[in-house]
Amino acid sequence: MTIDQAQLEQLKQTLQADDYRLDVDVQGDSADVAIVAGPDACEECLVPKPLMQSMLAPVLGVQPDSIRLTYPTDKA
Amino acid sequence: MFDSIIDPTVGAPGNDRGRTALAGRPAQLNGLRLGLLVNTKRNAADFLEEVAAALESEYGVTTVLTRTKPSIVHPAPPEMLEEFRGETDVVVVGVGDCGSCSASAVADGLQLEAAGIPAAVICSDAFRVSADAMANLQGTPGYEYVTTAHPVASLSREGVRERAVAALPEIVGMLTRPAAAVAS
Repeated sequence: MTIDQAQLEQLKQTLQADDYRLDVDVQGDSADVAIVAGPDACEECLVPKPLMQSMLAPVLGVQPDSIRLTYPTDKA
Repeated sequence: MFDSIIDPTVGAPGNDRGRTALAGRPAQLNGLRLGLLVNTKRNAADFLEEVAAALESEYGVTTVLTRTKPSIVHPAPPEMLEEFRGETDVVVVGVGDCGSCSASAVADGLQLEAAGIPAAVICSDAFRVSADAMANLQGTPGYEYVTTAHPVASLSREGVRERAVAALPEIVGMLTRPAAAVAS
């Protein structure tokens, strides 16, 4: 499980363009990922979770279904 | 609004996730009917209007149909796709100037291709990741689209015109060169 830092940075920049921040915590073969909205975040601009997981998986080196993904409006 | 996010992969072509067969390309655009599939991002309509104006004046197309998608997240609904299929020869789609709308723009392009209509999708370069991810998810990695610098939404009309003109050669190439080259 190796994080591709260059691709991770690219993904962060992509999200940042819509004023989102990406917080990643990889533990073994799973990952916790939180996407945090900034003040100017476009509410409809986030891709659906399955697509986001498919984008994150090769970057984080884990399977898509091993990524626990939290979006801004998910209940705590 | 986040609760209403809908997966734009649903209903897109190739539900078996097989590679989408791209439409055959005309040798030239002169005399063809142009369609514009617009999303609701700021400046998207202006951008495509400028593209259409340039394609009309320089390449002899006629813009016959412009449709605006109900949301930036959804792919175009089936009835809209039917209109393009019935009334147009080539379609320009855009502008994918955010994460979800760049992904859905690629889904739109693939839907149009599957319907036999050559399409040129325009996305801003900051969102290649989500556009490529959608192409991969749709079973068509390497699907090509036209990029313009991010952001588009904050441009003046003159800025939009300049961007549209700059993108024109690539748009024309995408609509006319052999389909195999469009999905390298």
